[in-house]
Amino acid sequence: MTTRPVFPFTAIVGQEAMKLALVLNIVSPSVGGVLIRGEKGTAKSTAARALAALLPEMTAVAGCRFSCDPDDPARLCPECRERLTAGQPLPRTRVPTRLVDLPVGATEDRVVGALDLETAIQDGKRRFEPGVLARANRGILYVDEVNLLDDHIVDALLDAAAMGVNTVEREGVSFTHPARFVLVGTMNPEEGELRPQLLDRFGLCVEVTGIAEPEDRVEVVKRLMAFEADPEAFMAAHAAEEKALGAKLAAARERVPRVTIDDAELAAIARLSIALGVDGHRADLVMMRAAKALAALSGRDAVIRDDLRRAAGLALPHRMRRKPFEAVGVDPEIVTSILGNAA
Amino acid sequence: MTGRERWAETTVFPFTALAGQDEAKLALTLAVICPALGGVLLRGEKGTAKSTLARGLAALLPEAGFAGGFVDLPLTVGEDRLAGCIDLEQAIAAGKVVCQPGLLARADGGVLYVDEVNLLPDHIADMLLDTAASGCFRLEREGLSAEVPSRFLLVGSMNPEEGELRPQLLDRFGLCVDVAAIRNVAGRMALLRDLEAFETDPRAFVAGGGQTRDAFVRRLIRARKLFPVVGLTDPAREKIVTAAAAAACAGQRAEILLSRAARAYAAWTNTPDADPAAVDAVAELVLRHRRRQVQPPEKQPQEQPSDPKPNDHPEPESSQASPSEAKPEDGAGQSQGNAPQEDQPDPADNDQGHGKAEPSKLKEDVFSVGEPFRLKPIRLRRDRLRRKAGSGRRAMTKTLERQGRTVGARMAEEIRDLALDATLRAAAPHQPARRAAKPDGPAVRIRPCDLRERTREKRMGTLIVLVADASSSMGASRRMTETKGAILSFLLDAYQKRDRIAFVAFRGDGAEVLLPPTGSPERAYRLLEDLPTGGKTPLAHGLFTGYHLIETELRRHPSTIALMVVISDGRTNVPFRNGRPLAEALDMAARIGRDDRLKSIVVDTEPEHVNALGLAGKVAEALHARHVKVADLRADQLRQIFRSGRDAAAPFSQALAG
Repeated sequence: MTTRPVFPFTAIVGQEAMKLALVLNIVSPSVGGVLIRGEKGTAKSTAARALAALLPEMTAVAGCRFSCDPDDPARLCPECRERLTAGQPLPRTRVPTRLVDLPVGATEDRVVGALDLETAIQDGKRRFEPGVLARANRGILYVDEVNLLDDHIVDALLDAAAMGVNTVEREGVSFTHPARFVLVGTMNPEEGELRPQLLDRFGLCVEVTGIAEPEDRVEVVKRLMAFEADPEAFMAAHAAEEKALGAKLAAARERVPRVTIDDAELAAIARLSIALGVDGHRADLVMMRAAKALAALSGRDAVIRDDLRRAAGLALPHRMRRKPFEAVGVDPEIVTSILGNAA
Repeated sequence: MTGRERWAETTVFPFTALAGQDEAKLALTLAVICPALGGVLLRGEKGTAKSTLARGLAALLPEAGFAGGFVDLPLTVGEDRLAGCIDLEQAIAAGKVVCQPGLLARADGGVLYVDEVNLLPDHIADMLLDTAASGCFRLEREGLSAEVPSRFLLVGSMNPEEGELRPQLLDRFGLCVDVAAIRNVAGRMALLRDLEAFETDPRAFVAGGGQTRDAFVRRLIRARKLFPVVGLTDPAREKIVTAAAAAACAGQRAEILLSRAARAYAAWTNTPDADPAAVDAVAELVLRHRRRQVQPPEKQPQEQPSDPKPNDHPEPESSQASPSEAKPEDGAGQSQGNAPQEDQPDPADNDQGHGKAEPSKLKEDVFSVGEPFRLKPIRLRRDRLRRKAGSGRRAMTKTLERQGRTVGARMAEEIRDLALDATLRAAAPHQPARRAAKPDGPAVRIRPCDLRERTREKRMGTLIVLVADASSSMGASRRMTETKGAILSFLLDAYQKRDRIAFVAFRGDGAEVLLPPTGSPERAYRLLEDLPTGGKTPLAHGLFTGYHLIETELRRHPSTIALMVVISDGRTNVPFRNGRPLAEALDMAARIGRDDRLKSIVVDTEPEHVNALGLAGKVAEALHARHVKVADLRADQLRQIFRSGRDAAAPFSQALAG
């Protein structure tokens, strides 16, 4: 694997909401991804790519093309399942969690996978050649300029995201494999909006704007120049910070399953969704999960009102039932009226 | 057993544990009891457990004695896998041409589930329709020829925001449910708690609901056994006939489905014969998507409330739009026309063109955007030619240019754009035989019959240029609000069809391109909101600017399908070149009309009125354009898509479709 130097996550100046939304997905992947909206030059892609360095290691079946989890027999790929039913043990290994890029120009067969042509012609075997969705299983699928994605690629994504399973039925291939991924996308709304269905698939949404404070702007430039001049040294200088954040996230990730939410907070979630008239139940679910991740991140075992307030700010903006094409955003007054003012 | 199915057992929320959604659950249950109902369509907003329900049901089917498998049709499905194709491995290993059964064959006797069914590509939908109608599939490809039986229960889910379902496909679904989120706090909380428990420990959660589940399965088995002997009482039969008649359904299909559904319901409730109550219980499921409106609702366009926020949670009971209440004929239009007389001099007067006399007292107003409605299908003359463009959803034409992305491959008589992968795939099965016939030669033997051509699509589709009248005559009596509502409807339609859109407004002394061709209707919407109204009516300028835009676009992309939508009352009063305004506008229109590279529609905003001038009609005639009254555009109120469908059946009649 080539190790292109990546700007460290902890060296990004400001943009706290974006950074929080991203790390919440490491703490609890079930939060369901982030959509980062904003104009050019707001460190959107930098932050998303920098996330890779913070991702924890995970246990996977050694040699599995889909990084199956040996401890989750319900979600094995056909190859691992075959091994298991044949009574063979699944060899375990530790692998880094992947951040997989989905290029906007990717063709459908590269995304969902296709027939391995070489094997087909040489050996006459119908072998499945995994695509991007296979590599993204149990990792992060990152789409830069997600609003420019081609329609049929979006359809394929929606299909896979709905069940965490990718089914390929084309060109003589019939194959199904697990494809559970956290979707991280960036976009510039000036170039067009996302389809509502895809928008809803992102657990969280943050709007980023350029940094206004002159001192901060100077700092951004300084750091960028330092990074460009000597990436290795810059990364080394931030290594300790990165490691500390990584450890904090790992601890929070451990804690999440223990975090509880009481009825009062749960009721607040329900009331908020009803008052705002959001579509469906996904907003409730995401708010609950994000609030739990926030609590875990603060080292608490119970969700408090403040977690909820912050979770609402991240989970709701893109889910408002609004007039078609109206801008993304939440009416803060309604949120305050239900959740109360920040402490 | 397919892979997806097995996952369903522990990774899908159990069907019987899901709170609420009783109607959807009933519909799915009835369809399992009586597969002849043809299937269930679950419509509704995002995140309402539509696919969870369908997949949860699938997990129960094997136990319930449902013989066939559950096929989950991915949107990316290829024609070959749907129909069946040559088994590559068999062909190479044994040199035999054997069919690898397709999904239609696998679904025989089982369930075919399509999530986002409204996004299914047309050619795949066609195959499904053919098969669903005849119960078998005629396989004719790659030297394979067979009659494949395929009777399945079709289950589909969709979000109407992404576009409506084709009427023929809609009709295939015996039952239809509008799924909505739970709107009370306690219900939502309970659902969250259940999901939380399921997430924390799925196995324990599934085990905890074991009894309910087993009881459900037993009841289902009993009902399936009982169904064949369940009859129909006479009162029930009468009820069916009246219900179908009241809904003005076409043909006898509604009656047949109603009796099947009522009998299935009786079997489910363990009663020997279906009574009128059983008919009541299922009527809405059958009729919801078949009901036709007797009278088109004419009255809405005018009285839009000025409150910009539409009703957030549409009440299904809202009586305002019910067909029976729609006021008879023209009363509404009349009152509108009599409203404060706008500057409505007769055209002869205007034609003198008192030029730029009064630009200083331009009164400008910004009107709010009226509520959008669903457009009647706009049918361009369909061209069956393989044209040089098209990936939008309005004009289904494949491209012949060697640009754009490959979306598939096909057999062709003359290959211009070789699809190497598809060609190799086609040749692979025949390799052993060919090698045996002629031992020396290239590693891969390819014959002309293997050659495949790429099918490509370009991300372009249709360009819609909206040319909107923003002059002061439009400002009267909230007509601009209504017009903006119409424009918004075009934008919505353009979004769903993935058209590109451009926006030209004319008022005062000229026309202005507010929005060059873009794929972002959001931007158009923002401009629309801020569009001021006022000043004179330079129609010819508007036509010219719109046409110029299309011409430029055609020069750059000759394959664009262009549609110009002129929204105006036609009361022009600004000369283009010092002539008479109307004559010049008509002349301009006629010139544009002669260019057959574009098509036009004139949306007439002049109110129905005794003094109506009908000028927009003349413009339309000159343009060779279709002439439509703004009120005739609406298929029904857009928001009705979200409501119970009680009054949502669209009158697909006259106007545009004609």
